[in-house]
Amino acid sequence: MRTILSMFSKSPFKPLVSHIDKVNECVNLINPLFEAYQSNNYEKVEEIAKNISELEHKADQIKSDIRQHLPQSIFLPVDKRDFMRLLSAQDDIADAVEDLAVLMRIKNIDVPEELSELLVDLVHYIVALANDACNMIRELEDLLEASFGGAEAEKVEKMASHLGTGEYEADKKQFLIAQKLFSLNDLSAPDLFLLNELIKKLGAVADQSEKIGKTLHMFLSR
Amino acid sequence: MELSTFLMIFAVAACIYMACNIGANDVANAMGTSVGSGSLTFKQAIYVAAVAEFAGAYFVGGHVSDTIRKGMLDPEIFSDAPLHLVYGMIAALVSAALWLNIASYLGWPVSTTHSIVGAVVGFGVIAGGMDAINWSKVWGVVMSWVVSPLMGGLVAFLLFRFLTNQVFRRRNPLLHAKRILPFMVFLVCVILANAMFYKGLKNMHLDFSYPEAMTYAIIFGMVGFLISKPLTKKIPDVPKKEIHKQLEATENIFKYLQIITAFYIAFAHGSNDVANAVGPLAAVVSILNSGTVAMKVAMPPWILALGGGFIVLGLLVWGRRVMETIGSKITEITPSRGFCATFAGASVVLICSKMGLPVSTTHTLVGSVIGVGLARGLPTLNLGIVKEIVMSWLATVPFTAILSAILFKLMLWTLG
Repeated sequence: MRTILSMFSKSPFKPLVSHIDKVNECVNLINPLFEAYQSNNYEKVEEIAKNISELEHKADQIKSDIRQHLPQSIFLPVDKRDFMRLLSAQDDIADAVEDLAVLMRIKNIDVPEELSELLVDLVHYIVALANDACNMIRELEDLLEASFGGAEAEKVEKMASHLGTGEYEADKKQFLIAQKLFSLNDLSAPDLFLLNELIKKLGAVADQSEKIGKTLHMFLSR
Repeated sequence: MELSTFLMIFAVAACIYMACNIGANDVANAMGTSVGSGSLTFKQAIYVAAVAEFAGAYFVGGHVSDTIRKGMLDPEIFSDAPLHLVYGMIAALVSAALWLNIASYLGWPVSTTHSIVGAVVGFGVIAGGMDAINWSKVWGVVMSWVVSPLMGGLVAFLLFRFLTNQVFRRRNPLLHAKRILPFMVFLVCVILANAMFYKGLKNMHLDFSYPEAMTYAIIFGMVGFLISKPLTKKIPDVPKKEIHKQLEATENIFKYLQIITAFYIAFAHGSNDVANAVGPLAAVVSILNSGTVAMKVAMPPWILALGGGFIVLGLLVWGRRVMETIGSKITEITPSRGFCATFAGASVVLICSKMGLPVSTTHTLVGSVIGVGLARGLPTLNLGIVKEIVMSWLATVPFTAILSAILFKLMLWTLG
């Protein structure tokens, strides 16, 4: 028999967390990926790239599952468009990580000594930032429970503004590394292009992390 | 066997059939949120429901019966042939119960109240034409079907907003939940006791005036307050910094409140819905005993006890299975949200019962769940069920009306 409980359909916020878990696994492979790349261990790069692409695929499946289970007759406590925006920001992070791996597999290049330190710094910084964004999604359940207010909302607000400043810092680091990159004269054009693309993709991870913060912030102010 | 004895047995059997169906049909909706949130196990819920349904039916059930028994139908048209009203009431009971049985089987969220109202109107039209029906009364009842879910929704919305501001959006939600709990207990006790004491205890020859009833209700509420206050003190504090644990502990407090409201809704359901089974039987008994159609018949306590008893049997035997499945499923409802929905639904049903308006408990609860959802209380809300409810509105009344008309004709034809 159908009862009143059929009104409480499955919460789409839980799969959103499972999705971010997969994205987070992708993000945590960025550091080993760059380590392998910079030490010219291309076999390892291949292996990690395969891992990433599998994780990205799993995340994709969760994403389409969430989309399918969100029919018109479902009412959410947040704007449905904001919810979708959050989901696509999450997914874009996984995509950007996958693109990083693809770029590295195009050509084996030696990362110039002068860039090495700056690049490692940027990668660490962005991985930490993306991890913060992932942790923010894990606050969703408490945020719902607190009805988007109170101490929990303050916590989320702080996290969002932290992501905002983090993205700004990442931009600055990205600019410095680009300056360095284009000041190197002995780099071939294809290598320069590839390295520049890598840096841009890292920037994309930071951008999407900030977008997660912004969208969650929108949930609060409704 | 004499005809009147036969009719009496038939009417009692039909009333039992209807009461069992009411118990089987509605208990899952009334108690579902408490079981779904884990505040009660399905067994505990069954026991709470059994006690509260019977108490509600026995103590407060008389009011709504009047509307069903004589409010919608002009008894004058039966003064020449009182037995025809007996046939009609039996036909109404059988067709309403049959519809409930079919609907439970198909899984439709129909209302027990709507079924019996449709059935009474159905045989009434056959017996005395369109004029035999007190249409303004019927319209009042139908209006209450629209108003009660809206009221349930509004009360639930406001209550949840209140809790949001007073508890969940505070820096220390646990502390505020502890402070608010005794007041909520007070409120529930007052409304419950007021419903019982005012015109409620006639069966026990205790007829209080409204001020008297209110006084006793407030005393009862104070007792609840004073008992719960020291108990909340025993709940251990959680550091403010640990937001997650704070919220968990806060939900735990609402578990206690939800257990009280589970009793409350079952009581309200019993008081509102027993009339659907016993109203027609009371009319039958009065006619068979006196041989005339009386304008005013007292509701014999034994009939209320019979109705209440078989509602309990219905929920114990058939409602149990539905409850068991609910208990085994994971649902997204938390005790605080369940409390808001149940409290709002029960209050509206109880107030409507006191006003003599037979409303649908299930539909009122659906309204209050939507109210909590609109107040941003639920992670997701499936509004598809609203369409099903409107469909069941459109299907229930015509079906029971036509079936009861046919059964009535059939009895006229065979019994004369």
